[in-house]
Amino acid sequence: MRRVWGEDALLLERAGAPVAELAALEAEIEASLALPGRGAWWDAHVHLGRDRDGHRLAAEDLRADLDRWGIAGAVCFPANDPGADGQFGAANAAVLEAARRSAGRIVAFCRLDPRRAWSAALERMAAGGARGLKLHPIAQRFAPEGPDAVALVRAATERGWPVMIHAGFGARPLAGPLARLAEAVPEARLILAHGGRGDARAIRDGLAGRQGVLLDTSLATLPDLVEIAPERLCFGSDRPYGEHASALQLVALAAALRGWSADQREGVMGGNLGAWLPGTA
Amino acid sequence: MTAIEAVRLVAALARAEIALVRKDPVAAALLAQAARDADGLTPGPAVAAAARMARDVDLSADAPAAAATRKVVQALCRVAAQDAQAALLRGAP
Repeated sequence: MRRVWGEDALLLERAGAPVAELAALEAEIEASLALPGRGAWWDAHVHLGRDRDGHRLAAEDLRADLDRWGIAGAVCFPANDPGADGQFGAANAAVLEAARRSAGRIVAFCRLDPRRAWSAALERMAAGGARGLKLHPIAQRFAPEGPDAVALVRAATERGWPVMIHAGFGARPLAGPLARLAEAVPEARLILAHGGRGDARAIRDGLAGRQGVLLDTSLATLPDLVEIAPERLCFGSDRPYGEHASALQLVALAAALRGWSADQREGVMGGNLGAWLPGTA
Repeated sequence: MTAIEAVRLVAALARAEIALVRKDPVAAALLAQAARDADGLTPGPAVAAAARMARDVDLSADAPAAAATRKVVQALCRVAAQDAQAALLRGAP
């Protein structure tokens, strides 16, 4: 199946979209990328499965996307699909199964709701090979600095897991609550998603320079990324909500604007994540 | 791209992006305006393609083909906005 801009070209043709023109525009983006280490890049932020809002991504489609862009692998976790148990049981199991079949190209993080009983689910996911935790305070409506979330982050940290936390769109301020979470679990390694765009200036000032904090670039904004040291960034796409062409362009533009060295570019595209998840870069 | 052109385009694309996320039919009109704003500029071809697709396809529909097209239009808006923001951050005149 041919894919363009992360979508099935046949579906686009059926809708009347100009697929050849779209492919040419995508190729222009690809030609403009001045990012070293292609083939060893890692995507830190991918959702597998189907979101309640209709977004979906199957493991085989992700594999096609990764191959298309020369991306070695991806950290994957469920979309917003809590399922019958409300604790992402089926969705987490599906991500684990995808990781098992991926020959190392998919690293599974488990997505959990800290307001519900999570201990058994965490054990199951750890036994199944999960290597990190994904939290979404907006979708699951919890306070990241609250006792439930702190306990879950502490449990994940005790396993040596990084914790990916949504830090994108949302009405509530994020920087203060996330700083309090980091203070409550000082040894935690937190990946703040979307470049912290949900509270960008406060996160830049209060969290972005803190030890144990990375920010992923998925659906981030250019003005936010250029204010963050590249050593604190890891590439992400937020598939299927985002796609790889614009995600890669974003990093390439930030790198050019700030004059990142080749080492810094390689760090953002995989090395910084690999330091936290050995074997991914 | 001058700073004024870039600011105008970023603002137009931001309006269109929200309309697309909300599946609001006004997205087609907003993208048509953004395409005029982008005409002759580096992001022009991407915004023109997005505007044509928004005109020709009902992007507010939930059918898989419409949803896929909507996602591509959003992606084109992102690359165009990022181009314009880069021009501003480079210190466009």
